[in-house]
Amino acid sequence: MVLKVNDQGIIETGNWCSITPVRGVEKLAVGKTPEQVPKIASRVCGICPIAHNLAATEAMEASIKCEIPKDAKALRNILQLANRLHSIALHDILILPDLYIPGTETKINPFTAEEPVRTVAKRIQRLREIGQTIGQIAGGDCIHPRNTRIGGMYRNCSEQAKTKMYDLAKEGLVLAKAQMDFMIAVLRNYQARESVDVGGMKVPLPKTLGYHNQGYMATHAFYGSSSLDECPTWDINRFKEVRPWDWYMGEMEVSLEEPRYPVGGTTKIGTKVNPQMEACTGIPMYDGQPVEVGPRARLATYKNYDEKGTVGQNIAREMEYTDSLYEMIDQIDALDTCGKVVADFIPDGDGSLGWATNEAPRGCDAHIARVKDWKVQYFSMLVPTTWNFATCSAALTGAPWQLAEVIMRGYDPCVSCATHMIVLDEDNKVVAQKLIQ
Amino acid sequence: MMQSEIVIVGCGNPLFGDDGFGPAVIEEMEKLILPDNVTIQDGGAGAPHFIFNFLDPEVTKKLVVVDISDFNAKPGSISKISGDTLKPGAYIDPHSWDGVDQLCRISAKIDTTVVMCQPAKAIKKGDADVEIGLSEDVKNAIPKAIQVILETIGVDYGTTINLQKEGSQRGAAETCGHQER
Repeated sequence: MVLKVNDQGIIETGNWCSITPVRGVEKLAVGKTPEQVPKIASRVCGICPIAHNLAATEAMEASIKCEIPKDAKALRNILQLANRLHSIALHDILILPDLYIPGTETKINPFTAEEPVRTVAKRIQRLREIGQTIGQIAGGDCIHPRNTRIGGMYRNCSEQAKTKMYDLAKEGLVLAKAQMDFMIAVLRNYQARESVDVGGMKVPLPKTLGYHNQGYMATHAFYGSSSLDECPTWDINRFKEVRPWDWYMGEMEVSLEEPRYPVGGTTKIGTKVNPQMEACTGIPMYDGQPVEVGPRARLATYKNYDEKGTVGQNIAREMEYTDSLYEMIDQIDALDTCGKVVADFIPDGDGSLGWATNEAPRGCDAHIARVKDWKVQYFSMLVPTTWNFATCSAALTGAPWQLAEVIMRGYDPCVSCATHMIVLDEDNKVVAQKLIQ
Repeated sequence: MMQSEIVIVGCGNPLFGDDGFGPAVIEEMEKLILPDNVTIQDGGAGAPHFIFNFLDPEVTKKLVVVDISDFNAKPGSISKISGDTLKPGAYIDPHSWDGVDQLCRISAKIDTTVVMCQPAKAIKKGDADVEIGLSEDVKNAIPKAIQVILETIGVDYGTTINLQKEGSQRGAAETCGHQER
């Protein structure tokens, strides 16, 4: 992440890029069978394999024009929502250290054994367990699901397993409501502060933290869409990708250090960086502009949610806690455990272009595929964080540089490679670089 | 409950050559009939984020982690170490969890063993060369690794008989409460 700041340390330009090696995987997929590619896709990321597995599977099905049985769709929906439940809980752990225990100046350490945080941490862990257990039942495995297949699912679940999922979802609903209320309370407490502490520095908190005007893109409140749908909610013709060279700044040099910045201070003076050259993903655009994807995009599109900024984004994510469980209970209710879960006929593919979007916890995960004679000819993944890179970059403008990571965490970024944060002064010299990983 | 008394997790990413050893071992172990108190899990690339939810110190007595490690041996060599001997890493943030750090914390409460295989070439963090498939030496080490794992958890699956020294490991399964096969 490269930031150009003014004399007051306020960000004028944000540049957040990734060096995630996604393109290599897409080339690797060419020539493989459609069954192999979702397995490969689920390994590009350690945090959201379920979303990539489902999106890749459905992109293949879209290309070969294979409709799956309704009970297979129900199982995939349950798996999807279980993944979302687990992921929101994981994100709570990510952002809690930024927030304060209300009425105190103590920041929340989610790993402390002290109350009241301990109770919250246990609730988060239980929600994660519930999400993973339901995901394991529906998807065959809670990390890299192995029950999904081209044409549906390998097997339906038993009536006993359905009851187990239902019981867990009901338990999760009570916990999720309590967790949502807690998180919204501490987020509102943070929002009301005049300043916050970052590594011992008192940093003014702008009321417009994380604001941007880039617009939202969401394809479904819970699941996604595909080119097989009667009324698809994503249009591949409105998407285009530009080169990072056209978007990011060129070579810079760090000219200031801030040793108090957690954890371990910023990067040493003199370090050279070049986001223009280091970025290895394109900049995806929808209707010619970067867009925000994720919980707020879904709530804005399907519920008219309208709170801007980082706090609004985090609150939208918390509101998806109970939404995902109510929908999950409906999907479990609808599941016929005696129903077939594999399509009667699975075509080999005629080379048609197909796409599928999956509304992953972090946002729209769009996969595009072309399959002919049971071989993949083309495969592309537009993952949520790739969509959000340029939007988050815009959202950084106007914030103190010390709060750049707070804004970034609002997007729940999933970047599997190292990301660097750099601060520039008025002469475009880099004044700080933070190694996030 | 998801938690079992014995948890075996294979870590690594099959997209990066020999790093896929852990998941490959788990794939082979899925063909075995194991006692009900044993859970095997393909932790894949996300093990540090996900796998600790499978562990409850009140239920889980034994954890076996299967991974590759560069310990200057011949490619395909298998070794195992106790979790007590691991050195903690640095906590950065919840999206950059270092699994070793957490293993150190948990090994005080759960008997932890790491079964390691020497890869054909050392893989460093940040390597981006995508290459599917294990090297021949590492692929051939899978049966040996499974033998070591079964010996570690005290399951006599036939293949482990010759490995077990007199009086060793058979009691381990009893202390973990599983029924001897």
